[in-house]
Amino acid sequence: MKKIIMNVFALIYFPCVIALEPLAEDELKNILGQGGVYLTGDITINETGGPLNNAADASNPAVWQKNCTTASTDKRCGARIAVNAGDGVNSGWLVLDNIRGRFSFEGMTLKTRTINSGFDDDGNGTSDGAAFNGDVLEIGLPNTIKYTNVSYTLANSSTARPTDVGFNQTDIFNVKIDGDISLQGNLLLFPTGNP
Amino acid sequence: MKLLNSKLLNIKPLNTQLLLIGLSLSTSSFALKALDDASLSGVQGQAGLTIEQSQLLNIGSLTYTDDGNDLSIEGLRFSSQTNVDEVASRTYIMDVSEDGTLRVQSDIKPTQMHIDGIRINNSAASFGDFTLNYEAVTNFNIKGMAGGGLEGSFTVGISNADMIWKTNGHSMSFDNIGYNASVDNFTFEYDAIDNSKGFIRTGLDIGMDNFDFSFSTGALSLAGVSLGELAGDLALSANAQIFAGGRYGDEGLTFHSQVSILSDTDNYVRFTDYDSVGEGNDLFMGDFSGSVNLTNLTLDVESDHLAIGFDQMDGSFKAGTILIGDSSKPIGSIELEFLLSDYIDAGNSANNRYNRFQLYPGIRQPDFAAMPDQIKSYAESFYFDQTPTSEGLSLATQWNLTNAELSYIDDGRLVVFSGIQSFGSANTTIDVRDKKIAIGISDLKGSYSIDGLRVGNKTAPLQGGAELLLSLEVYQAMDFDIDGFTEITAGGASGGGIRIDGDYFFSNSNIGLSIDENGEGIWATGVNYDIHLRDITFDVEGDGLKINRGEQWSTMDITNLRWGNKETGTSLGRVKLERFEKNSLLAIMPGGAGQVCVGGSLNAAGDGCSGVGRFEDRGEQGMTVSLKAAFANAGTTTDGTAIARNRLTWENNRTENSPGEYINDTGTQIIFDNYSTNDGTGTTDSNDYGLQANLNIDVFETKVLKKSTGTDANGVAGNLGDELIYDSSARDSYVYIASPDAAQKTLRPLGFAVQGNVSFKELNIDAVQLKHPNVATPQTVFYGVVMQNLDLTTNLTATPIQ
Repeated sequence: MKKIIMNVFALIYFPCVIALEPLAEDELKNILGQGGVYLTGDITINETGGPLNNAADASNPAVWQKNCTTASTDKRCGARIAVNAGDGVNSGWLVLDNIRGRFSFEGMTLKTRTINSGFDDDGNGTSDGAAFNGDVLEIGLPNTIKYTNVSYTLANSSTARPTDVGFNQTDIFNVKIDGDISLQGNLLLFPTGNP
Repeated sequence: MKLLNSKLLNIKPLNTQLLLIGLSLSTSSFALKALDDASLSGVQGQAGLTIEQSQLLNIGSLTYTDDGNDLSIEGLRFSSQTNVDEVASRTYIMDVSEDGTLRVQSDIKPTQMHIDGIRINNSAASFGDFTLNYEAVTNFNIKGMAGGGLEGSFTVGISNADMIWKTNGHSMSFDNIGYNASVDNFTFEYDAIDNSKGFIRTGLDIGMDNFDFSFSTGALSLAGVSLGELAGDLALSANAQIFAGGRYGDEGLTFHSQVSILSDTDNYVRFTDYDSVGEGNDLFMGDFSGSVNLTNLTLDVESDHLAIGFDQMDGSFKAGTILIGDSSKPIGSIELEFLLSDYIDAGNSANNRYNRFQLYPGIRQPDFAAMPDQIKSYAESFYFDQTPTSEGLSLATQWNLTNAELSYIDDGRLVVFSGIQSFGSANTTIDVRDKKIAIGISDLKGSYSIDGLRVGNKTAPLQGGAELLLSLEVYQAMDFDIDGFTEITAGGASGGGIRIDGDYFFSNSNIGLSIDENGEGIWATGVNYDIHLRDITFDVEGDGLKINRGEQWSTMDITNLRWGNKETGTSLGRVKLERFEKNSLLAIMPGGAGQVCVGGSLNAAGDGCSGVGRFEDRGEQGMTVSLKAAFANAGTTTDGTAIARNRLTWENNRTENSPGEYINDTGTQIIFDNYSTNDGTGTTDSNDYGLQANLNIDVFETKVLKKSTGTDANGVAGNLGDELIYDSSARDSYVYIASPDAAQKTLRPLGFAVQGNVSFKELNIDAVQLKHPNVATPQTVFYGVVMQNLDLTTNLTATPIQ
């Protein structure tokens, strides 16, 4: 799990913090560049299937061995998450199946910063920022995220895996999304409460 | 490799010194043969003198005394290699040329130099015994200088040499050493002036112009198994000044030196790892240049140790070519600038930082009683067979790296790991055991930090991105207190290479996960990190460097995960990560992402996008880091010393012991218990695929769009969606352009371009649980989470916000 966390950090998380000390004029130019990181690119899930679809890998179960292209619709070409929220062996599984698609964006920003002013939403001169006076991880949302061939299926299943004995799955609905969505503003993450 | 170079450089003068000692002391130890009349007539007819010498030299003890402390070399012997009671032969030919140059040629037949032990003030333990087998041909030319002093040139060729270090009956060796060196012109003058001790002293000034040497050796060999082969070629020019009087007392030695590594495409260092069928793969660094300056390097013999220290060492280093395995794919080039210097805090001597090394004969065991419980039993086991008379080397080290800048250049695009600083101290023991080298480190206390990255040029603004090193488990900053015990054996997964077993414990450490140059960001503080490695192998293969991790279990217990400052930042609570892996793998391979379609799919030819997307050709150079984490199901470790599992626990709402101090296991916990990977049919299945993560890393231009209409923080105006384009390659000013042309696109901001891929066949979590402090057993929320068949690819480029 540590590796997962590390890689997620490495891939999507590049924050910096604005310095709190007063700055000389000639230092200011450098500090402006340290305000955070601008991320651009895409995230793609199972564009040509996943590792279980590889027919050349004899260890893969037959039910998973599919020829997965970008145009294929076989539900085994996507990723699958099964959750047992019941009482264990006697209950079924809630499944998010056939998860595929590409999310493209330009202009997501990441930075950590101190909020100690502003946020006078009422316009009455009371700064919620001054009262907050803490550090946050700020995710600046890209104005637009482009969805390409994004799909998933919500289902109920008798077992966790398609290879398990007695596997029986009922699909509830399928979702397929193409197009742009608007995501504007900032997402602020910060610890709160008693640690 | 660079360190090894230094060692070889250091060894050579010592070797020469010992040879001179052998020459000067041996005259009374063996008899000159009387020449008959016929031989005498032959000598008279020649221009010079030929001396044929047969030498068997035994010196009981050779002692160097410094301020009343003795450094004794015991049992020094020069003999034949085949029989220590037989003579070794050598021939000297001397003549004087017309310009007054004394020319001395020597031909040294196979000889063994052996030292039984080196002790300080008759210490109970010694540094071990040393043996050097060698044969050599040398040629010295020396003449007087007009203003006093000596100058000349020399060539040395050493062949069929072996160097062996033995402690307590076990040995390690460097086999098949070949060494050739030449100096176009050297000078010895007694005119160097120094006042670093508060008074003027005169010393010896040595200069070497174009000191060119090459070497090759079977790298470290243990019990007949070699780690590989080491070879190199280097051209230097150097000056050194030597003075009487060290750092402590009245006697000792002081050196200053200035070394310039000449820019020469023939300079290289190469490590070759041979596989089981004898095929070699190289780690290669070539096209060197650089310099190293050393100020006040001192040597003193103290009551129980040899003290070495320097006030300052600064320098730079450039390797134009770096190859890992595949000789057709250079990963780029590196440049390093560094400064190690003492720091004196006039207001508080507790903050003083030094660069010092104390070498003690024998094994100085740590204070087990003062060790944390988590590592104590491993430490006691590590030193179980060692006694006060056990041979070996003990080191007490202090260092202060004031600053370093490490640059990586990929297809002409540069990224700098900037503001690297470190200081600390450590106690180390090194000895040779049965087929292994044992290295024990205790009280390794200190700190390091990396300010951030500079991309494009060395004066570009600092930015984030050093977090990329997390994939290699290198953190951006750390305050550490480490005890660790390592055993190294020769032989990797196949053929040569290195194999490591070790146990390590980090006490109350602070780890910077993502911070800026002011130390602000996200910190893991109060970290106790317990790591156990078994059967870890390092091999160079045809496609890269491979690190196989046979078995590894660890617990990282983070007392507070803080936002902001590491001491006062707001805490998210406690995070405890337990890990258990078998047969995981880390590979570092040459070559980055190559051709990429961002936001779309590559076409079949790989030279453009198939439909939508932005095509980028990120070049031939770059680096790929490939990870395979095979998370094992809960169980007993192979050596039976622990029960290990993969588990993530987040705890908060803990009882506060004192202001800011919280008691673990008194709060509410969410637990992701016993997560593991398998090959697709459940936890009873094999676990060959694991969780794989590949990072293709390049430095490349990035499309940066303006996020709102108006002027930015630098006062540059633009409209929403315009692209940021620099005015020139200097990248010190920019404009916003709605539709840049091809030339303008080459002036996009540079960034760290990472094509990442994460995939697994199955990642299984046994249970997700919640635990209230008032109940003994956690309550289960989910009785299982099964994730299957994921292949997630990202194309992301990170640039600083303007």
